[in-house]
Formats: sequence, C-alpha cells, structure tokens
Amino acid sequence: MASFLFATLSIICIGAVMGMILFKNQAYSALCLILAFICTGGLFGLLNAPFIAVVQIIIYAGAIMVLFIFVIMMIDVRKGLSPEKKRWFLYPSIGMGVIFIGELIFIINRALGPSQTLASDALGSPKVLGRMLFTKYLYPFEITSILIIAALVGAIVLVKKKDTP
Amino acid sequence: MNNIWTLLPIVFVLTGSLLVLLLEVFIQRETKDYLGFVSLMFLVLSGAACVTFWNKGYSYFNGDLFLDKLALFLSLLFIIGTALIILISMKYLSLQNTNYGEYYSLLLFALIGTLIMVSSTDLIIIFLGLEVLSMSSYALAGLKRNDEKSGEAALKYFLLGSFASAFLIYGIAFLYGTSKSTEIFSIIDHFQAVSSQSILVIAGFGLLIIGFGFKIAVVPFHMWTPDVYQGSPTPITAFFSVLPKAAGFAVLLRLFGPYFGQITQSQNIFMVLWFLSVLTMVAGNLLALRQKNIKRLLAYSSIAHAGYLMIAVLAKSHYSLVFYLTVYLFMNIGAFSAVIALSKKDKEYLQLKDYAGIGFRYPWIGATLSIFLLSLAGFPPTGGFLAKFYVFSEAVSQDLVPLVVIGVLASLISVFYYLRVIVYMYMREPSTPFEIDTNNAPLVLVLFICLYGVIQLGIYPGNVLLFIKQAVASLPF
Repeated sequence: MASFLFATLSIICIGAVMGMILFKNQAYSALCLILAFICTGGLFGLLNAPFIAVVQIIIYAGAIMVLFIFVIMMIDVRKGLSPEKKRWFLYPSIGMGVIFIGELIFIINRALGPSQTLASDALGSPKVLGRMLFTKYLYPFEITSILIIAALVGAIVLVKKKDTP
Repeated sequence: MNNIWTLLPIVFVLTGSLLVLLLEVFIQRETKDYLGFVSLMFLVLSGAACVTFWNKGYSYFNGDLFLDKLALFLSLLFIIGTALIILISMKYLSLQNTNYGEYYSLLLFALIGTLIMVSSTDLIIIFLGLEVLSMSSYALAGLKRNDEKSGEAALKYFLLGSFASAFLIYGIAFLYGTSKSTEIFSIIDHFQAVSSQSILVIAGFGLLIIGFGFKIAVVPFHMWTPDVYQGSPTPITAFFSVLPKAAGFAVLLRLFGPYFGQITQSQNIFMVLWFLSVLTMVAGNLLALRQKNIKRLLAYSSIAHAGYLMIAVLAKSHYSLVFYLTVYLFMNIGAFSAVIALSKKDKEYLQLKDYAGIGFRYPWIGATLSIFLLSLAGFPPTGGFLAKFYVFSEAVSQDLVPLVVIGVLASLISVFYYLRVIVYMYMREPSTPFEIDTNNAPLVLVLFICLYGVIQLGIYPGNVLLFIKQAVASLPF
C-alpha cells in the first residue's frame, strides 16, 4: 500500500511540476505548484512525519501560494518574453539543464543510496517537535523571534508613508 | 560554565533596540538624535558586559552560546564599530532627510546578528544570526527613501542576499546529511573519522563558501557590492563594509581553522579559497582604478581587502586575521566619516572631482582622509601597514609565497587609486565652489577616534595585539 501511494504521489507530483513549467498562463502554473506541494506533503506523511506534512500543506500550499497569486495578479500575465530574448535564453538553459542532469546522475550514483532506516514513529510528531524546540533548539528558536521582528520593522519602515518627517 | 549572564551582551543590545522603537512612537521630536544617545547608552552597557566576561568562559544553552575570548573580543569590536556608526549618523540623518527612528533600532538588530554569529559554533545558529543581520541590512540599505538609488540598493541586496542565504542553508543541509550534526567541531570530527573526500562534503563546503563569499564580498560573488554601497545611506555603507565582513571572516576562521588543521585531505577546498583570494585581490583592485565615485571606489577597495583577509585564513594565522579586522574597522569607518563630513543639507559630495582642493579648504578633513587612505593602501606608520605586514609575513612562513607576491602586487595597484584621491585633494584647483556643513561634533569625534585607532595600532599595537593573541590562543584548534 505504501509503495503504491508513494508511486502515485510521486507521479502526480512530477506531472504537476512539469505542468507548472509548461503552462503559458502563470495562474495555471501556480495551481500546478499547489498540487505539487500537496503531493510532497503526502510524501512526508508516508515518511512518518505528520507534522511536516501538515505544515507543508498549510504554509506552502496555503500561505506562500497566496502570495504567489497576489504577485501574478499585480503583474501583467500575458506579456511574456520577446522571441529574440527567448532564443537567447534557450541555448544556455539547455546547456545548464544537461549539466544539471549530469550532476544529478553523478550524485545519485556516488553518494545517495536508498535509506534503509525509516524515521521512528515519534520523531515527526508535533509533541516531540515541540519539546525539541523548547529544549535542544531553544536558542535558535529565540533567535528566530528576533529575526521576525527585525524583518517586520524593516518592512514597515520601508513602506511607511513618505511625507512623514 | 553554564551561566544565564552569558546572554547579557545580546540582551542589552536587544533591549536598546526595542526601547528605541517604543520611544520613537511616544516622544515626537523634530530630530531623532536622542534615540541615538539611547542606543549608545545600551551599547556601552553591552560593551561593559563583554569586558567583564573576559577570562570567564561563560556559556549557555548547552554551549550553543559560548562567549570565548575570541567572541568577546570581536563582540566588543563590533559594538565599538556600531557606536561609531551611530555617532556619524546623527547629523547625517537630518541633513539627508532620512530621519527615521527605526534607523537606530535596525542598526542594533544588525549588531545583534553579528554578535550571534561570532559567539556560536553551530551552523544553524550562525545562519540565523546572519539572517538577522541581513534582514536589518536590507531595510537599512533602502532607508534613503527619496533617492531611487537607495531603493535599487535595497532590492538588489535583498534578492542576491536571499539567493546567497539559500546556498548557505543548502550547504549546511549537506553537511548535516553526512555528519548528522550542525556543530562545526562534530562535523570536523566526523570527517576525520571517515573519508573527507565524499562528494557531499565537497558540495557542502562549496555551498558554504558561496554563501559566505557573498556576504564578505569576494570575487566572483561581489557583483552587488558597488551598487549597494553607492545607493545606501553613507553611514550604512560604512557599516556594510565592516561588520558583516568581519563577522563572516570570524565564521570562516572558526570553520576552516579546525578544517585545515585536522583534515589531511583538505587541498580541494584550500585551492578553491586560494583562487578566490587571488581573484578578489586582482579584480577588486583593478576595477577600483576606473571608479569616479568615492563610495564605489571604497566599495571596490573593501572587496580587495577581503582578498587580503582571505590570505590570513589560508595561512591559518588567526591573530593576523583578527588584527587586520581591528585595523580595518577603524580605517574604513574613518574614511567613510570623512566622506560624510563633505555634505550639506540634501547634498552629498561623492564624485572624485568634488574633492579637488579640499585639502586646503578643510585641512582637518583633508588630512584625516589622507591618513585613512594611506592606511588602507598600507603605508607605514599606519595600522594598515602593520596589518598587511603580519598577514603577509605569516603567509610566507606557511610557504604561500606566490599568494603573497600577488597580494603585494595587488596592493601596489591599490596605491594608485588611493593616492589619486589625495592628489585631487591637494593638487587640483577646485572646479566648483561649494560649502559644507561643518557643525557636526559627533562626526569630528569619530574622525579623531578612528585616527587615534589607526595611528596607535600602527605605531604601538602591543596591548591590543596581546589581547588578540590571548583570544586566539584560547581557541581549541
């Protein structure tokens, strides 16, 4: 059952990513990306990591995609690249793609094998994660709060009304 | 020793920046100088905490936060640097219509980022510290909001910076994947036990070098530097040219010190850094020759200095690296303060041709700027000379002669463009008459502090060098 689910989710995921690249309309691409995120969430679920699975769907498929769609709404969707520019991009990108595939094959051959050990049941549960956050990873967790407030202050000061003294 | 007081330096700065945010809301004033003084007060407290913790070896969070002597020395250096930046900003902000109280708050947040980076050996924490630093930096770069260039700087810095952060976290993930740890020493120990030539290790270190290479602006990851330096408010440019660079090098020291020390097969990474160093010195200095804008010129000069600093990393000479950073802080902030001094309401004089005749018109500014530029070029008896001397002599003793030859030749090139500014100041007739606002006491103070620092470190660096040697001697590698 697990391997059947794995195969299905993977195929849908790869198909969705392909669709994301191939669709001309950015809105369809965004929808495909959501599908891909949901499938990745499912894959995490299969790996005994329910928390990451849910977070994947809530954060990526939910919050981040909303931002994407906002951006697509604001920019002009129909205006693509001009044909000359496209040709200019085409050959380098084919070259880069070939190199990247070569690298992938190399790495998979040399370094990555199928992992025999599955994460233990407890590892991905929210309870364990929460406990880790407040014990072992307390310091990074606290730094994150500084990070967020710095980003918040920065963003607000940059979009504040201009004529304030 | 596990002790909650370890948090004190960071907490003081954090309190300061949050308090500034609150005060800004409740006390409305025409100028925001008073916020600068509040920040300075907290910086003094934090610096005092750093000084009293010397020799104590405090740590907290199971060693995630560890104030060893190196961390304390660098923290103190960064706090001094930020204090100088705040002093030169006070008048600048109202002159250039950048009067936001959040300025000081963001500056302190950025400082917290660097403090976090130098006081930990866990890559995740270093990464988060770097992000705190970067997030505040992106906003600071764009603070001159009526200037398009400033917005461009912020956007460029943000896009390329996030890209670099992605490389960095990817590299950390690779290293974690092979060694099951993000702590530098356990990673190194793991590589010592197994082969260090695994492709994942090389990829991990490579990505880390790209990520940090961006932050410390080594060629070929330097593209953002001139534009960001030119567009940002000038005190912020001074900040960018010193603190992120110094913090990045501190991390490289902690990472590659044990790596080169313990791993026998480290030639690959060594050669990569070697080439980066050569490229940075040569390209940085050559590109600086063509610059007509003083901020862009100093940007390329700061790129070139990253190359010299890289030599110190390669020579495994930690004390000369830290000493170079110390001198670099004073001379670079000094040079930028002199640039800031040449400004008036809503106008900065940044083109090289504006500098014609400055030397006689404003003898103090001309003289101090000349000394800082000579120090950057490496003339004795300034600190810049001794810093370069220590780095190069340590490199020679490590058999890096070709690197040193290239370094010396590159700094010869650099003499040309530094001296050109001085030639303009003293030997050209002023083309257009202009007035500057000379009523800027904090800035004069900073000029003199930096002058004192550069001269003191050049003529008698004894005490400082002693502390630096103590600091690096306490490192476990």
